[in-house]
Amino acid sequence: MKRNAFFAFASPSIVIMFALMVLPLLMAVFLSFQYMTFRNITSPEFVGLRNFIEIFEDQRFWRSFEFTALYIAIVVPSWVVIGFVVALFLDQVSGLVRGVYLSIFLLPFIIVPIIGTIMFKQLWEPSGLLTWLYQQITGARFRVNETSVKTLIIVFGIWYVTPFTIVVYFAGFQTLPVEMFEAASIDGATRMQKIRHIVIPYVSSLTIFILLFSIMDSYRVFDSVFVLSELNPQFKADTVMTYTFLTAMQVQRLGKANAMAIITVIGIMVVLVPFLYLMYKEQIEER
Amino acid sequence: MDRITSRPGRVLVHIVLALFAVYSLVPFFWTTLQSFKTFKDAFSRAPILIFQPTWQNYQEVWIRSLPDAGSSAGYIILIAAAVITCLMLFARYIPVNPAWIYIGGLIGYGVLLWAIPQQVYMAKYYNYFINTIVVTVFTIITSISIGCLAGYALARYAGMAAVVILIAALAFRALPRLAFVLPYFWIGSLTNLLDTQILVIVALVAVNQPFTIWMLRSFFMEVPRDLEESAMVDGANRLTSFLNVIVPVAWPGIISTALFTLLLAYNEFLLVRVLTQTNWTLPVAISRYTGAEDPAQLTLAAAASVSATIPIIVVILFFQKHLVKGLAAGAVKG
Repeated sequence: MKRNAFFAFASPSIVIMFALMVLPLLMAVFLSFQYMTFRNITSPEFVGLRNFIEIFEDQRFWRSFEFTALYIAIVVPSWVVIGFVVALFLDQVSGLVRGVYLSIFLLPFIIVPIIGTIMFKQLWEPSGLLTWLYQQITGARFRVNETSVKTLIIVFGIWYVTPFTIVVYFAGFQTLPVEMFEAASIDGATRMQKIRHIVIPYVSSLTIFILLFSIMDSYRVFDSVFVLSELNPQFKADTVMTYTFLTAMQVQRLGKANAMAIITVIGIMVVLVPFLYLMYKEQIEER
Repeated sequence: MDRITSRPGRVLVHIVLALFAVYSLVPFFWTTLQSFKTFKDAFSRAPILIFQPTWQNYQEVWIRSLPDAGSSAGYIILIAAAVITCLMLFARYIPVNPAWIYIGGLIGYGVLLWAIPQQVYMAKYYNYFINTIVVTVFTIITSISIGCLAGYALARYAGMAAVVILIAALAFRALPRLAFVLPYFWIGSLTNLLDTQILVIVALVAVNQPFTIWMLRSFFMEVPRDLEESAMVDGANRLTSFLNVIVPVAWPGIISTALFTLLLAYNEFLLVRVLTQTNWTLPVAISRYTGAEDPAQLTLAAAASVSATIPIIVVILFFQKHLVKGLAAGAVKG
């Protein structure tokens, strides 16, 4: 394809991405240096770095950052491990049974995240099924407090994204080389040895792919935290994203919220740049 | 990997899978039960599993006031909806070109959605439902038509510009929505576009564009180059050969991408929450039921959630193959 034809075909998409992604990012940078609320939205006031200083002194921001880090540290390994194990089990059945299980397992990932969260939350209402079960097992009443809300957010996070890792690993297992397993069987390898020495190395590139995307996606988690922290508004279990949202829409400090968004963008880019560089080299080699 | 053959091993496999299925389904099961309960049953301390089901919650979510008793309009609408759905499900067994049946069916649905509020005084939820359909449909159409052109160009052009765009798109895909949405909110307030569907649709197209072009590109890469080259030798220009030769071949991939765009648009919460005040789509509308302190909302939230999930499950059942294919393609190719 010639250069002109390329730009003729790609220009609508390029224009949209430039106008609605590049420009907004620049605008966010501009706004992060302004004092802006809903009142002076047409005439923001330049305050230099004051928004950033305020954020770094803001205890609530650091608490939300800590919780986000905790969330990532627990949720991401759980996705990988549970997804891998369930995919191994799913690989043991075939035909219709496999199709039915796959559809069921995918449900939490397919439905609207907000609705999934609401459904999950219904289990933990005072009259909910798991509230009751919790009381039967532990003998104590289920109390809504900071710890329990945070636990629920993490458990929900694990529940609704695991299907994605299951499908990715499952698809990966379908391409495993059969000969290697035959050779291993002849040498008398046990099942665990085969998993340890053949399967895990074989899917390692998939694992890296999953790790990368899940770290970025769990950093951005918003919907479920937003709904679940409503269980009891007193114990705000904020992540960086929900705190940014609250700063913008409830406290109405749009400038400060934009500054937080910019800090987040910089944080993500630091993680992302090595990966982007790898992709860049791969793309260059492809040509 | 080779199969477990021992009997206890097989039993263990099925136990693990069944337990995981239960774990996946519990919230759906419980919410569906709650949605059919009366207020009193829903709030009993010990969960009630057997009860007299009621449509009350669904009726309250969808309908503001019932038409006069004996009105047959409601039944006619229900029967018409059922007939259209069956026709579309079994289109391949009917000796007419299925494309016509699908188009006719979609038009039929449109007429029904228009006709219902003429007969019955519907609740606000119906407006949100229509709004969601409008936003989703226009997002898919715009996003896929722009994305197809770009995805095809990116699959065929070898220059540096393509690499730069692909890498930039990947970076945008990783950034949080809020970084884009807050400036949109600012632009929206300055231009009075806040709370309009146009702003939501344009914003949705833009934030999903990186994902769309990557996925479409991977499907266009699979189409052999000889196809359009031979068409172009026959005198077709690039655009006509693209539309007449490449698009039909890549059609399954385009459907997969459209399906994911549908899910992304239908699911979007944050963007719609910030950019609208009354013109909500379903996720935002439903979250309003749970935010209120009033516990009476609990069963309504359940009914609203189930109502909003059913269309998605129908679509997924219809396109399941495309969904799994898309997930696997996105995963394997990164």
